[in-house]
Amino acid sequence: MSPAFRAGGAKIRNGIKQRTSLVAEEYRRLRLTKHRAVLSHIAEQETSTGRIRGPFQNVIPLKDNFVTTDLPTTCASYILQGFKGSDKSTVAQLLEDFGITVVAKTNMDEFGMGSHSLNSAFGEVQNGPGTHAQSAGGSSGGSAMAVADNMASIAIGSDTGGSVRLPAAYTGIFGFKPSYGRISRNGLVPYANSLDTVGIFARSLADVASLYKILNKHDPADPTCLTTDSRLRIELAALRRGLAPGETAGDNLHIRVVAAGDTSEQETDLTATEAEHIGLSKARYNQPRRMRIGVPDEYNIEEMHPLVRNAWTLYLSALAANGNQVVPISLPTTKQALAAYYVLAPAEASSNLAKYDGVRYGIPRSQQAPDNHNGPLYSHHRGEFFGDEVKRRILLGTFTLSAGAMDNYFIQAQKVRRLVQHDFNSVFRLAHPLMDASQNNPSGVDFIVVPTSPTPPPLISEVKRQSSLDSYVNDVFTVPASLAGLPAISVPVIPDDDMPHTPEKNVGMQIIGQYGDDRKLLQFVKANPEMQMNELMDGLRTWKKSRM
Amino acid sequence: MLRRWYCHRFVSTARLYTSSLCAQRKCFSTSTHCRFHATAVDEAEVAPLRKQLKDAARASRHQQVSDTNGKDQLRRERLKDWELTVGIEIHAQLNTSSKLFSRASADWTDVPNAALWPFDMAVPGSQPLFQPPVLIPALRAAIALDCDIRPRSKFDRKHYFYHDQPAGYQITQYYEPFAVNGRVTLTQQDGLAPEEGTLHIGIKQVQLEQDTARTQQHDEETSLIDFNRSGHALVEIISLPQLHSPQAAAAYVRKVQSILYAVDAATTGMELGGLRADVNVSVRRFDGATGNHSYSGVTGLGQRTEIKNLSSFKSVEDAVCAERDRQIDILEAGGKIEGETRGWSLSNPGATRRLRGKEGEVDYRYMPDPDILPLHIDNDLVAHFRSTLPPVPDQLLDMLRLSYGLTADDAGALLNLDNGTRLLYYQDVVSRLTPSSNNNKTAFGVHVGNWILHELGALLTTTETEWHPDLIHAQQMSDLISLQLKGQLTGPSAKKLLRILFAGEKEPVSVIAERENLLFQSMNDQEYVELANRVIQDHPKEVEIVQKNSKQAQGKLKFLLGQMMRHGDRNRMEAQRAEKTLRSILMP
Repeated sequence: MSPAFRAGGAKIRNGIKQRTSLVAEEYRRLRLTKHRAVLSHIAEQETSTGRIRGPFQNVIPLKDNFVTTDLPTTCASYILQGFKGSDKSTVAQLLEDFGITVVAKTNMDEFGMGSHSLNSAFGEVQNGPGTHAQSAGGSSGGSAMAVADNMASIAIGSDTGGSVRLPAAYTGIFGFKPSYGRISRNGLVPYANSLDTVGIFARSLADVASLYKILNKHDPADPTCLTTDSRLRIELAALRRGLAPGETAGDNLHIRVVAAGDTSEQETDLTATEAEHIGLSKARYNQPRRMRIGVPDEYNIEEMHPLVRNAWTLYLSALAANGNQVVPISLPTTKQALAAYYVLAPAEASSNLAKYDGVRYGIPRSQQAPDNHNGPLYSHHRGEFFGDEVKRRILLGTFTLSAGAMDNYFIQAQKVRRLVQHDFNSVFRLAHPLMDASQNNPSGVDFIVVPTSPTPPPLISEVKRQSSLDSYVNDVFTVPASLAGLPAISVPVIPDDDMPHTPEKNVGMQIIGQYGDDRKLLQFVKANPEMQMNELMDGLRTWKKSRM
Repeated sequence: MLRRWYCHRFVSTARLYTSSLCAQRKCFSTSTHCRFHATAVDEAEVAPLRKQLKDAARASRHQQVSDTNGKDQLRRERLKDWELTVGIEIHAQLNTSSKLFSRASADWTDVPNAALWPFDMAVPGSQPLFQPPVLIPALRAAIALDCDIRPRSKFDRKHYFYHDQPAGYQITQYYEPFAVNGRVTLTQQDGLAPEEGTLHIGIKQVQLEQDTARTQQHDEETSLIDFNRSGHALVEIISLPQLHSPQAAAAYVRKVQSILYAVDAATTGMELGGLRADVNVSVRRFDGATGNHSYSGVTGLGQRTEIKNLSSFKSVEDAVCAERDRQIDILEAGGKIEGETRGWSLSNPGATRRLRGKEGEVDYRYMPDPDILPLHIDNDLVAHFRSTLPPVPDQLLDMLRLSYGLTADDAGALLNLDNGTRLLYYQDVVSRLTPSSNNNKTAFGVHVGNWILHELGALLTTTETEWHPDLIHAQQMSDLISLQLKGQLTGPSAKKLLRILFAGEKEPVSVIAERENLLFQSMNDQEYVELANRVIQDHPKEVEIVQKNSKQAQGKLKFLLGQMMRHGDRNRMEAQRAEKTLRSILMP
């Protein structure tokens, strides 16, 4: 338990009054901040109605693309202004069931399209004041700022191509994007369905893990949410880590498996055959192991900021000092991944956003401006109420899906996506758990460590001078894991231990795991406390000493 | 679970409103609707039905006048030079309890926007949930159409903006449909001209897809939308371009509908909007150079046009006919056919009209739906449906002709009447008559056919009554026929009894026959002689002629017989015996 959760928990045990007062206190903090990160929030009196009933107590801001019933859901777009859902998103429901109150909806890039949270119909998100304001990252910048500014200890975002990891890196907090399909997308307004994931922000790793445990559940309302069966397959596959192909343990095993779709850990009896098939002993599974860390050559790009390169080097050194093995790897399709992403995501977006026509919800169609007779039906409405970046991506996607361009863009991009997946599968030690006939790779790596972004957070004034193409480059390190659906977490690190740390020197390190290996990924980060700022320093000093 | 509260709430937040004017109209199931400014609205689709019917009647009067002026003859002449080619896409509503991708009820309801889940209105954040029971009628349809069922198929999005399409796209199976390579056989029985022989029309593919919402034009500026139909499960059945006459095109659609009915895959046909057809039409000269277009692998065809949204067999035939003539006119005048989409409306049945040309063609931007998992259909499931499939019309036709001894005409009539309920009734009556030890149904088949098709049919026509199996209970009907066959009812008595039953009499047939004195009790010989003598006495002139055995003898004998029949108790008399008695007295 993190300090934040612990505090709440302690108060709960002291009785209801204190519970509600804590929420009220959080609320006041929220309101006083009057932050642009917040688009809407619940009224103060609602916080004292005793809604909190979970074992631990807290409040949470939700990115404004998660449907809520008492607060509007706009996706930071005029076109959805005033929209309130009839059913809340599964994420909001799970949080509420656990006693966590959704106090606010946070600002974002319109429909998730952007890397700096500047493309919002309702004002930009900023980190810092005035001309010194730096980018909070995007598209979940509002949620990241809510956590970074201490308005809440946890927040929910969504990550399509880096929208949780990038803001986490820019604001100096943890941002976790689980494997695709781990957390239900039901009620998450889609940007690009095949890439969208629910992501978690927190100031501590323990909070990330606690929140992940609440949300990591099968949901029948989302057809792409991992089924209980698939979850079990993944758990069983993870048990094979470290085994050579064909190696078996042979005993009639009783293996503890975290049953998928359940908060409680369940004992699962495996038959002897199954156990043999998995082929390893409980002891072996539980044994803490030093991990093999892959460092892909292709990420060491010329454009990388020296501060980021320095942080990367220091961080890898610290991991090595902690007994992990750091090895070079190659992910050859990395260069094409960004282009593929910017074909696929807009293509899906152009399709998903076709529903916004002003007929059924959102801002009403203007009666004064009907389209031409027999002309396009909704172009005036959509032209008026979508923002520029949204329009740009809709046009891009409409083009790449059109009959003449489909083969050269959409199909090619899908092929690149396959290659990206193949790249990852060929370097990881674990086989992809949901692909048949794939074998573990004994010389593979357990995790890949790369920077989250090539630069520290840019100034907003700088970003505004960039073309939209320039700002797409921000996603170059986060997009590959999205294309492959892999779990990835951005961890705040100190880039330079010789000078005092300041927000403009925020750098995030991204740790990427094999598909479904989310739990081990979080365990790995936890088992290497050097990653957290103070410990990182100590670790480094130890490492330096050992080199002298 | 219906979420009415959801819709009502939705109504208030999304500017749906209830129109009292509309609620009074019976022609549509709508009364709660979206305000929508109609612009690119297809008038044929949304014009009030009453107006449509009026226009259609007026137009058909016009046509009758113009048809009489001999143009027809000329047209027929020049058709000899041209080959018509038609391919048809049929959309049929599946007989299912839920929608394709939501658990909302698919049952018909007259409360607009009541059968809705969020996904049916494309509410942001809602996702498609495939409903496996939809596969039952879909598989039945595909198997009955002789298709190969693919073990793995996928769903795609077909994009276009229209107010009846809430998501901005329709979910369909474009790249990988669940069924391919089917076949439908057409014969004269199905309405082909005799010279066309027997045709085998290939089915390219059968795909699952969503239906659209229902629209009604409220006034100049407003369309009302009922999303109840939005997301219903359809199959689209795509034929190869292998039809070559308007009659064959109509016969094909009729045949597909009857097959879908027979296997319970569809519940409503064209007359209720449960089945709609798009036809692709092209022509080429028999003797000229072959065309350079190819569709579905059929090469050498002329440029085709598509006529959308035909909702009756007749409109399929008429539209193909009109489009064929239009294309020939253009080509003979040295013109060129444009690839375009054309419309057809009841109010102008003489011609198709242009909706949009190639440059205005919608690029549907088909994209695999990223939310929907591939559909895996197990071979065992297919085998199960194959073995339990009800017989299709051709099998039924053979059965009626061979086992029941019906003529092809009568068998065809039974199949096509009243959605098959007349056939069920027929089989019920026959089986009640046939002793369980006897499998031979021919003994009664023809007889029962006569009664149910012709006698009962005539009554239905003259009284303008709609058929219903409960009009006359099958047991009553079989008792009636049984009595007649046993000689206990004469023909006229049996018909009288049928009318009594038809009027709603529910008592057992034997009781009614007794009460109404309809049962045949033969007169004895003595009674016949007495009656004959009385007639002989009353008509001496005629008797004389008969006895002289002159030319007129035969006629006068018939006259005397008539007198006997008239004066006697008809229900107890047999003409043969009366004549015999008369002859024995007069011509011993």
